[in-house]
Amino acid sequence: MLSPAVDNLVTQLTRLPGVGTRTAQRLAFHLLQRSTEEALALATAIEDVKERVRFCRDCGNLTEEERCAICRDERRDHSLICVVEQPADLISLERTHEYRGLYHVLGGALSPLDGVEPEHLRIDELFKRVERNGVQEVVLATNPNMTGEATAAYLADRLRGRARVTRLASGLPVGGDLEYADEVTLGRALTGRRDMEP
Amino acid sequence: MASRTYRTEAFVLRSLRLGEADRVLHLYTLARGRIGAVAKGIRRTRSRFGARLEPLSHVELLLHQGSGELQTVTGAELIHSHHAAREHPYRLGVGLVGLEAMLRLFPEQEGNPRAFSALGRFLDLTDELEDRSGARPALDPLALAFQLKLLWLSGYLPHVRSCAECGAGPPLVGYLPRAGGAVCRACAADAIPLAPRTLVGIDALLRRPLVEAVALALGEREVRETLRVIVSSYEYHGGFRLRTLSA
Repeated sequence: MLSPAVDNLVTQLTRLPGVGTRTAQRLAFHLLQRSTEEALALATAIEDVKERVRFCRDCGNLTEEERCAICRDERRDHSLICVVEQPADLISLERTHEYRGLYHVLGGALSPLDGVEPEHLRIDELFKRVERNGVQEVVLATNPNMTGEATAAYLADRLRGRARVTRLASGLPVGGDLEYADEVTLGRALTGRRDMEP
Repeated sequence: MASRTYRTEAFVLRSLRLGEADRVLHLYTLARGRIGAVAKGIRRTRSRFGARLEPLSHVELLLHQGSGELQTVTGAELIHSHHAAREHPYRLGVGLVGLEAMLRLFPEQEGNPRAFSALGRFLDLTDELEDRSGARPALDPLALAFQLKLLWLSGYLPHVRSCAECGAGPPLVGYLPRAGGAVCRACAADAIPLAPRTLVGIDALLRRPLVEAVALALGEREVRETLRVIVSSYEYHGGFRLRTLSA
């Protein structure tokens, strides 16, 4: 129907997560309507990312250097490691401005149903970091869903005796109403209740 | 025009990420058997579904059947979260074996109340399993009993009381997947060798209620051989292997 070049662009766009054929066609037409410079800026950005960006040697975060800016920062607490599934989770935690330790990006979560086993994630690298660098505490910040919890339980078991292991608290989102909370989250919030300081 | 929204009980078998904040759920429903449905926005922290639609959950759902293959979850009430199973590695391992067996043995959109109720019973018992950290969940008697019962419900009842080839009585010495059961010494070429106690164990796991599976106190050899029978049945009759059984 369309020219082979447009067909190819649509095909490439449908490979992106969450993009179906219709969305890909809409994006392709949008790019065709833009100026050449604007469209090529996108192509150049993709090329740049693929050429320059790599995974940090230490933590697995995205970086343009051998080690990411967080791992290079001497002001951060190097005895504290927060384990996350993806670089996007790290960005969310950084936005809190509450955490001053280092990170470790696993690259996913354990999922036997999907064939994701420990050797497919950066788990061995985590154990080596803990052993070598005298890490005092590992904060498990995997997602609070089935695969994330399974991963946290696996890591906690393997890290026992090597460092203090903590897990992000589960509970109610700040600003929400109790009546809309689901039973599991509310149950967790009750289990994890804490003393009120006077 | 008939309403395209309906209510049914369901178990969440699997959950896959979709787009920015959605998930595709593989559900086993009481009304229509196995279906796929989209839960929109479920990954957002303020999703109205919260943690209700995690795998293993027993829920009552309001589903909308659109024109596509996937239905849409429009409401969810929790009946039983089975969080006791989900939050413990060994129990979770056993539960996942059961979920994957359901996914592979019951892929059709066709209600099967007996399979639905067996799954519910299995998950209730998984919640109560004792901690056996370090043990292989695939060898748990409850997981073995549940899979044998599912094979039975899907029409592949392993025949273990007489030779499945010639009809001869005991002693039976092996299991032959293409015959669908145990075989005598004369018919045992190509069969998986089995101890007599394993055949007694398989028969008990099939006939006795799930709740009695653990109390049967099967030995190490019996559970390993029972697992081989199950795996070979999957491979011969269904042409598949369960990932969770190799873990």
